[in-house]
Amino acid sequence: MTTEALAGRAIAMKTEARRRQATALLIVAGAVLLALLPFAGVRSFTITLLTEALIFAIWAMSLDLMTGYTGMLTFGHAAGFGLGGYAAGYFAREVTADFVASLLVAELVILSVAVPIGFVAIRLSGAAFAIVSLCIAQVFFQIAVAWRSVTEGMDGLVGVPLPTVLGRTINVGTEFYLLTVLIAGAVCLGLRQLVISPFGRTLGAIRVNEDRAAAIGINVRLHKWLVFVMSWAIAGVGGTLMVFMKAGTTPMSLYWIESGNVLIMAIFGGLGTLFGPVVGAVSFVFLRDALTTGFEVWQFAFGVVFVIVVLVFPSGLAGIVSRIWMLLWRARS
Amino acid sequence: MDWNFLFVNILNGVVYGAFLLLTSLGLSLVFGLGRVVNFAHGALYAMGGYALIAVMYGVGVGYWLGLVVAPLLVIPIAMAIERATIHPIRQRPDVDTLLVTFGLSSMIVGGIEYVWGTGTKLLPPPAPFAATVDVLGNQYPLYRLVAAIVSLLVSAGVLAVIQFTPIGLRIRAITDDPGMAEALGVNRKRLLTLVFGCAAGLAALAGALGAPVFAIHPEMGMNILIDSFLVVVLGGLGSLTGSVIGAFFVSLTKSIGGGYFAEWSTAFLFLVVAMALILRPTGIFGRGRVG
Repeated sequence: MTTEALAGRAIAMKTEARRRQATALLIVAGAVLLALLPFAGVRSFTITLLTEALIFAIWAMSLDLMTGYTGMLTFGHAAGFGLGGYAAGYFAREVTADFVASLLVAELVILSVAVPIGFVAIRLSGAAFAIVSLCIAQVFFQIAVAWRSVTEGMDGLVGVPLPTVLGRTINVGTEFYLLTVLIAGAVCLGLRQLVISPFGRTLGAIRVNEDRAAAIGINVRLHKWLVFVMSWAIAGVGGTLMVFMKAGTTPMSLYWIESGNVLIMAIFGGLGTLFGPVVGAVSFVFLRDALTTGFEVWQFAFGVVFVIVVLVFPSGLAGIVSRIWMLLWRARS
Repeated sequence: MDWNFLFVNILNGVVYGAFLLLTSLGLSLVFGLGRVVNFAHGALYAMGGYALIAVMYGVGVGYWLGLVVAPLLVIPIAMAIERATIHPIRQRPDVDTLLVTFGLSSMIVGGIEYVWGTGTKLLPPPAPFAATVDVLGNQYPLYRLVAAIVSLLVSAGVLAVIQFTPIGLRIRAITDDPGMAEALGVNRKRLLTLVFGCAAGLAALAGALGAPVFAIHPEMGMNILIDSFLVVVLGGLGSLTGSVIGAFFVSLTKSIGGGYFAEWSTAFLFLVVAMALILRPTGIFGRGRVG
């Protein structure tokens, strides 16, 4: 390698490192900005919506890890979210409302389920995986309906107490919002580190072409399995927050319509980016709030948006933004 | 053991299986032909039920004429939908059509709720078959048996068309080897539009025929869609023989198991299907590739 080439490489690595730092700072700054909103006179109703949006954002980011970064389309992502909600809610009501303990219990339950299920499900890819993921989520839905002694059937789990952190009760509203911002920021930062790591790059290779990835020595099944389990585990974090926010959960949290909702959030924002699902989740919550005046109109509008996004903007909002950015950049140089 | 209870459950299973066969045949044909997993199939089933109501109460025709008209109304709508949404993304990965049809499903159900409301509509069985008949000492609604026989006859007709007509030959050729069939001059795109429309017609017929049995509501297609998915996945995506066997396996498991174990039987069914798919990714009777 010539000296110029070496120097060029060093510069490229330096700019890359600087860019990474900038993104990490951007995430932290975004979280701080969101955390300041309740003190800047934002209405409490808006804060409630934002809390819900950030919980969905965690969920949508976890789907993005599986679908956007690894290329495993899932129609059953409600499973991890709903299961986490049930486990955390049940534990909080029956044992202790400590948030960290409930979260740990939820994660343990999810791991004990996702590890064996993932082991078999990841053998499939494409449409077959999509259908099986739907079937898996529907099994959980049916169990939630049928196992009345624990889940209370269609009535759902109710009476989940307010969470406590270090013995201090977290009230619904600003306090719970701040907790959500903290966790969502941490998840976003963590996922960012994950996808730019060599592990994340490997997932990209699997997404582009599984066979070729296997041919260059990547253990495709192991990676897909790990992603499946991680994705469910992160979705479970969202589910835990949600069950505390709503003080309960119902089997509908596991229904396939929820799986469709989280899918559209991620696709609308842009798969394969982390800001995409966050923006998608926020747009989803506020759009739904604006349109729920008539539920029929909401579902129709949901379908129209879904179809148009997939047909015309398959890369989502993030794709549109990056295309404009590219045009501006080209115009400048 | 109560044999009568078991017998009625089996009978219910066979009736439901006949409906499931109509919907799964369409799903399987469309997948075999275009590699399109049609998520909107259940919504088209619901559309059939509502088209029946529209012509019966809007125009004032009788039930039997409505049963013929309703699918004929849905076919051109479905063909237009295929042209507008699935046709343009044929070059993209298979999973994109899954996403589009998922959105379409929501659009159709939302549209139905907007026009007809979210309530359940009951339709009385048509006049000559409103009574019950005595089947081995059980009073069973006659209409259910008639509807099941109609479904089975139509399904047999569809299978005969696939097996014995030139157009059926083309469909089988594409399902078998799309590249070779196209090289021999089969117009896959046009055929897909036609078959998509006809498959929607079958779903709509099932919806209209089932209206007096299962009642009509906007979400009526969701359950039968998921059951049909189970059928085609179990039988092998694109395999018609598999669909026939799968339809009755699923419906009998659901109705017999449902009689004794309530919702647990559905969970059990999903597990069976997931296991089957993992052991044989192409389905029990499937050939060729999946995904």
